[in-house]
Amino acid sequence: MKVAMISWEYPPRIVGGIARHCEGLARALVKQGHEVHVFTLDFPGAPEYEEGGGIRVYRTRSEVGHPNFLSWVLLFNHFIEKRLAGVSKLVEFDVLHVHDWLTAPSSIAFKHFAKKPIVFTAHSTEHGRSGLHIPDSFTIDGLEWWATYEASKVIVTSNAMKHEVCGHFHIPWEKVDIIPNAIDPTKYQGSVDKWAIRSRYGIQPHEKLILCVGRLVPQKGVEYFIHSVPILARRRPEAKFIIVGDGWYRDHLEWVANTTGERWRITFTGFISDGDLIALTKSADVMVVPSIYEPFGIVALEGMAAGVPVVASQVGGLTEFIEHDRTGVLVYSRNPESIAWGVEHVLSNPDHARWLVQNALEIVQKSYSWEAIAKKTSRVYEEVTGAKR
Amino acid sequence: MSFTPLPPVPEEFQVLSMMHNIGAITPDRSLSPDELAMWTGIEISIVRDCLQRLRELGYVEHIEVSGVEKYHVTKVGIMKVLTLYS
Repeated sequence: MKVAMISWEYPPRIVGGIARHCEGLARALVKQGHEVHVFTLDFPGAPEYEEGGGIRVYRTRSEVGHPNFLSWVLLFNHFIEKRLAGVSKLVEFDVLHVHDWLTAPSSIAFKHFAKKPIVFTAHSTEHGRSGLHIPDSFTIDGLEWWATYEASKVIVTSNAMKHEVCGHFHIPWEKVDIIPNAIDPTKYQGSVDKWAIRSRYGIQPHEKLILCVGRLVPQKGVEYFIHSVPILARRRPEAKFIIVGDGWYRDHLEWVANTTGERWRITFTGFISDGDLIALTKSADVMVVPSIYEPFGIVALEGMAAGVPVVASQVGGLTEFIEHDRTGVLVYSRNPESIAWGVEHVLSNPDHARWLVQNALEIVQKSYSWEAIAKKTSRVYEEVTGAKR
Repeated sequence: MSFTPLPPVPEEFQVLSMMHNIGAITPDRSLSPDELAMWTGIEISIVRDCLQRLRELGYVEHIEVSGVEKYHVTKVGIMKVLTLYS
């Protein structure tokens, strides 16, 4: 099948999980015999067109910009639509797979031009991300609804998201399929010099490294993680905390860290490379995922694949692949005491922590491979195109 | 436990975001502080202060064109902006 995958994020333009999701899915779909064409936005240093591993990537430069975010979105959609129209003179696509609302306008227009079905993956909703407090959010919410309306099928990554999407947008239950996120576990299999990596961040051999990874935005709940630092420091004087990632909320989080009286224990790394992130994750004693809204929570899956015990908030998709005290530890969201309890529970029971890690690895390898996820996605493509294989 | 309400998006971040949305993301599309002030409607002195801080943080770089300093968003700056929208 010829698939046009449309996303505003695709490596090396990586913000959250969408870019990695699209790349992993595209690779796996190619392995299953599909022809995948990715339409995305430009990024400094990345070619306008490239072909690798059977995936064709078209990066579109928006020739006109605008300081207003939504106007900018509409403008880049226009240029993506032009690119789609140009490529479609040479390639007859069977299905359009759109990821999130940002590229929905171009995809919907192209759907009606090409008379091909849309599959829309809703990675999150504006309603869940930030509530509907400002006019822009209402516009985004409307675009998200429009995408679910125009799509022949909607994909979400968790049961929690299915409830959210069906409830909020009033779309039929049977129109929405759950296909979870996936990771490539082989990325995490190499060995790392744990002590050398820890020392790079000032962690001594006798100290405990507690890691938190994510975009620094309110919904990731990093504020609650920081508030757990003084609680943990009283119980574990050897604890050190590393926060990986960046975002518009960082200044505020650093301010919160300054108020804890334990600022010296906390390191903000900003963005780091994939390789460094994997090495750091493998070197950690615990990973904390303190989200207050999490449609899936791929960072927890990455921690599980890296063999680190995961302590995560009991929200959204996290509760669907983390079984409490069997594959990880679930704690109350927005609750620093509970986070501290979860971390201490892992650190004070090393044998139990190893058992959690072993169980988590089995789950990741069994249920969250790209191959399995691509097979499920192929079935959705077959359903919307009426194809039989 | 009570927490402070969400802080507003910092001013320099608003400038960074607008620079990104305008398309000033490569050296050939760099803009001068005057041009940025015109595009964004933000006072020139504020734009200059924001650019100074953004430069220190590594989110923008500048080049000199005919004696005029022009600024564009770096790769890390782009990723920082995108966190606002995802």
